[in-house]
Amino acid sequence: MKKVLALVFVAVLCLSCLAGCASNKKTIGVILIGDENEGYTFAHIDGIKKALKATGYSEDEVVWYYNVPEDETTYDKCVDAAEQGCKVVITNSYAHQTFAQKAAEKYADVQFVSMTGDTAKKSNLKNFHNAFNATYESRYVSGVVAGAKIKELVEAGKLTDKNYDADGKVKVGYVGAFPYAEVVSGYTGFFLGIKSVYENVSMEVSFTNSWFDIAAESSTAEKLIADGCVIIGQHADSTGAPSACEAANKAGTVVYSVGYNVDMLSVAPNAALTSSTNDWSVYYTYLFNQLKAGKEIATDWSEGYNTGAVCITKLGTSCAEGTQQLVDNAEKALKDGSVHVFDINTFTVGGEPVNSTFCFDSDGDFVYDQVEAIKDGYYHESEYISAPSFNLDVDGITKLN
Amino acid sequence: MDTNLAVEMRKVTKTFGSVVANENVDMQLRKGEILSLLGENGSGKTTLMNMLSGIYFPDSGQILIDGKPVTIASPKDAFKFGIGMIHQHFKLIDVFTATENIVLGLEDNKKFDLEAASKKVLEIAEKYGFQINPKQKIYEMSVSQKQTVEIIKTLYRGAQILILDEPTAVLTPQETEKLFAVMKKMRADGKSIIIITHKLNEVMEISDRVAVLRKGQYIATVNTSETNPQALTDMMVGRATVLDINRPEPVNPEPRLVVENLTCVDEEGVKRLDNVSFTAYSGEILGIAGVAGSGQRELLEAVAGLYPVKSGTIVYSSDYKNSKSLVGLDPLSIRKMGVTMSFVPEDRLGMGLVGTMGMTGNMMIRSWRKGKSFFLDRKSPDKLAQKIKEELEVVTPDVNYPVRRLSGGNVQKVLVGREIAAAPSVLMTAYAVRGLDINTSYTIYNLLTAQKEKGVAVVYVGEDLDVILALCDRVMVLCGGQVSGIVDARTTTKEEIGLLMTQFRREGAKENE
Amino acid sequence: MSKSKSEPLFRISKRDDISFKKALMIRAIALAAALLVAGIVIIMIVHVNPFKVYGTMFLGAFGTRMRSWVTVRDIMTLLCIAVGLAPAFAMKFWNVGAEGQILIGGISTVFCMKYFDNLPTFVLFLVMIITSMLCGAIWGFLPGFFKANWNTNETLFTLMMNYIAIQFTSFMVAKWENPFGSNSVGIVNNDSMRGWLPSMFSSSPGDDYGWNVVIVMIAVVAMFVYLKYSKQGYEISVVGDSVNTARYAGIRVNKVYIRTMLISGAVCGLAGFVAVSGASHTISTSTAGGRGFTAIIVAWLAKFNTFTMIFISALLIFLDKGASQIASDYHINEHVSQIITSIILFFLLGCEFFINYNVKFKKSSKKSKEVAA
Repeated sequence: MKKVLALVFVAVLCLSCLAGCASNKKTIGVILIGDENEGYTFAHIDGIKKALKATGYSEDEVVWYYNVPEDETTYDKCVDAAEQGCKVVITNSYAHQTFAQKAAEKYADVQFVSMTGDTAKKSNLKNFHNAFNATYESRYVSGVVAGAKIKELVEAGKLTDKNYDADGKVKVGYVGAFPYAEVVSGYTGFFLGIKSVYENVSMEVSFTNSWFDIAAESSTAEKLIADGCVIIGQHADSTGAPSACEAANKAGTVVYSVGYNVDMLSVAPNAALTSSTNDWSVYYTYLFNQLKAGKEIATDWSEGYNTGAVCITKLGTSCAEGTQQLVDNAEKALKDGSVHVFDINTFTVGGEPVNSTFCFDSDGDFVYDQVEAIKDGYYHESEYISAPSFNLDVDGITKLN
Repeated sequence: MDTNLAVEMRKVTKTFGSVVANENVDMQLRKGEILSLLGENGSGKTTLMNMLSGIYFPDSGQILIDGKPVTIASPKDAFKFGIGMIHQHFKLIDVFTATENIVLGLEDNKKFDLEAASKKVLEIAEKYGFQINPKQKIYEMSVSQKQTVEIIKTLYRGAQILILDEPTAVLTPQETEKLFAVMKKMRADGKSIIIITHKLNEVMEISDRVAVLRKGQYIATVNTSETNPQALTDMMVGRATVLDINRPEPVNPEPRLVVENLTCVDEEGVKRLDNVSFTAYSGEILGIAGVAGSGQRELLEAVAGLYPVKSGTIVYSSDYKNSKSLVGLDPLSIRKMGVTMSFVPEDRLGMGLVGTMGMTGNMMIRSWRKGKSFFLDRKSPDKLAQKIKEELEVVTPDVNYPVRRLSGGNVQKVLVGREIAAAPSVLMTAYAVRGLDINTSYTIYNLLTAQKEKGVAVVYVGEDLDVILALCDRVMVLCGGQVSGIVDARTTTKEEIGLLMTQFRREGAKENE
Repeated sequence: MSKSKSEPLFRISKRDDISFKKALMIRAIALAAALLVAGIVIIMIVHVNPFKVYGTMFLGAFGTRMRSWVTVRDIMTLLCIAVGLAPAFAMKFWNVGAEGQILIGGISTVFCMKYFDNLPTFVLFLVMIITSMLCGAIWGFLPGFFKANWNTNETLFTLMMNYIAIQFTSFMVAKWENPFGSNSVGIVNNDSMRGWLPSMFSSSPGDDYGWNVVIVMIAVVAMFVYLKYSKQGYEISVVGDSVNTARYAGIRVNKVYIRTMLISGAVCGLAGFVAVSGASHTISTSTAGGRGFTAIIVAWLAKFNTFTMIFISALLIFLDKGASQIASDYHINEHVSQIITSIILFFLLGCEFFINYNVKFKKSSKKSKEVAA
């Protein structure tokens, strides 16, 4: 009996010693909603690794936490990272932020970054930050691609009555995840992008109430296709909608897909036009550089084409002729500021142009009550806080559910 | 080497944990003989036979078939050597027909042909005088028919050596006669048969030789013609036992339990008890005889408040003036009314005892409610357990040793001991000595008689008619849920009771199964 | 003599009793075998020194003061659920509804935190504990009541109750959503920290989880005493062994079903309180997180002995923490690290077979000749 106990103790001691030798200095904690098998998280891992290389940090200095759900586990991991000496802790999913914020209150000398979060400004914490790429810009550009295609289809006379609504406008469909500002901002940007090329369109949006649900996204797309939509855009993470478009396209229906996050050509070689996507390494490089230099990190960070944080994927073979030229022009205009996505001259709400609106909810009642967003003739998306805030119901867009 | 031997077991030893089931046992079975394997319960008879049929593998020793040493590692091996065993608990599939059960698991490369198999089954049946309908489903069969299927199953597989484990326990005297006739025919055909039984009269009637085991050890083998029941008993128990049961005359009997027109139906709506009326008197033992499943269990449980009563009355009277109706009451209410009724149910571990608990825990089955405390009183049940352990010589390492690990006899001692310790005015026992050795059986008989002498109304449901006739004062015979007769045990005969047991068998047979 | 020609390679027989020392030896051997096999797998898949990996596991659970506390906290939550399941399972009432009972207990805790936060601290905790136990008890009562009256299948019933609880949780999450769009309740009373179980050795909650330990250990001891020394515990054991014996003993089986399920549900509800007030300070469908099912394993392996459950819970949580630490440190998929912990679990559980059964291998031919002679 005593012998066994002694053996166990020795073993434990050896193990802890060995393990102790193995552990390195940790600087960066990364809390991820998924792992490398999941597209969204993979894009973040990829971005972080690129940024590490660019800024001269070693991968050994990173603590990775995979498959962390958006619940109290996040807090545990934040604390764990901080206790290991991390200087910065990154969380990559929206609802991680509540727990990251709580940890930020406790560990004042550790920087916490909640990607896609929106409460940093409100928290008044110096060490809590949000970052969100200006995805609405790449959505706008992907809208340009779709607009060019619609224009081509109309001019070639390929559309039937079914493809026009009662007012004679070409129908576009959009598979949205949730009716949140992030999604509204995205599909409105997409819609305005289309309209910048072909004015006479209307859009139907249907929500799946999930960020990732292949079956629901597929069936929602099918519903929109059956309704006569010519383009199916999406703000949901699976390949459900492009696959549905490809199937309908093969069956002879005129319909094309604009995807999100990843190139959809592999699942929809004929139907996919392009996808709007992000390059997270741009932000992470900024973050690590600031960290290294000991400089302050922006409370809210949102960048688009001017830093290359957003882009669209390679154009599909189905794209209309001359699309590339239109895309190049649009990207250039967004970069130099000659075009703004939410230019108040391009949209109306309830038939009226919008000259003033708030973009910040200061008291948590889900109603914007502070900070004027419209200045200089356009809605300043993602400027006051990095998360998308545009949630106006623009004329020409119908929410189906 | 004696080539006349079908089976020879040499110095076979088998242990289970610390229990030695067989120790250096020798046994010889000649070709074409019926050998009785006799021994008290727990003497290792079944274990020995299980080694022969491949269910257990011996720790040491040797088995020879036809003079050749063999290894029997599985029942399949046993079949290969022509050994077939008919177990106490039949291993048949209810929804299959007789033939389907017989050919089940049989491996031959021939085409599966049920018709041909049925024909072969009938041939075997005719040869040995079985009565069987090959296409009858098992669930439609009586116990004896099921046994027939089991026996034919082994013969179908070409068994030359048959082992029957207590085959008569579930049979009526008439059915037993038939079975013995079949066995004799098989012997004439050159088959060797081992029969395990407790009943000495059957040993004397059927077997050529008797092998006796005692406490896992081989005692001797004798020719049946050269021995007698008394000598066999001596060999079994190692000391002379008086076979007579002391039966004093009832003193001052008064009606204690009056049951009138009792009718019970089960969940399927089948009548289990049909208009049963009887009176149990204080100071007497009322025997209840009947083929298994004639309503004995339901009757006792209905009286104990464990089986729903459809109609009729059950009245308990402590004296002539004071009577209480028990119908519709559960055991707790009956006890709360002050009726001290003890009940030794047929299913000892499934109803009377908690197998996972020790003796102390099982004493509490009766006493746990006592006192107002939220907590259990363990002291007095513990004392009682110690007392019963000593008085009834219960073999257990500890009063907290799980009773399911005890042998059948010791389990029964615990149960009966507890029920008697409750100082009942009515004591009902169902198959109180089933599976017990002679010594323990007598202990139980004496305990019951002592209760009777104390003025308790004892109800004894039994299967061994010899015992019922020797122990009880009156005998009620049940058949198909009806009372087919109540007779004086001192004047009746076995034949009369046997006849009463089967009187309504035609109508009752189906319900019984 | 051709005696040994086809003696089976090994034979299995049930052990009657085994000495504590021998059982401990078997477990030690199993642990060594587990580490050996897992080590081979580690070298094959991860290409690192297995001892480093084991050290990593240890660090994952106890590497820092906070980690140790988090490990202890998670052990306590799992333990509390297992303790809740113990009476139901001892009665052979297959309560697989702990998941739902935890959630309901958790929801009621959040409810109290949100709406009764003006009560004095001590009263607030009392109210939280009582309501969470009450709500859990209701969740346990329903299957017990239906089983008692209409003999419904408790496994299906409790399972279905889980789904109701999960949907109800989703509903409440939508109702209490904060911030909008997060699909989560956020941290309840983030600023006031009302209704947060305090730390034992520090002024800020979450620095240690001493009170979690206290609450759960009270449950452990109370349940042990209840099951072993109370009349009601005796009734549970009898019903669990045989319903017929229970009826024979004058036990009202239906009453025992209902009463025991009330208790079982209440303790699982308490686990919900511990999980919310003592750890997460929020509620989501993942608050139970499958622990209601894991606890079944704990309860079974411990044979309903609540003290044994401490060790089993600790083992499972340790392996869990170890697995995620391996994944994190060696940058491997979490599934791979789970394979490693599964191997260890397999051996440790598998050795129970050798503790319960005796396996004898074929004797050498020389020895069998002696026997034959």
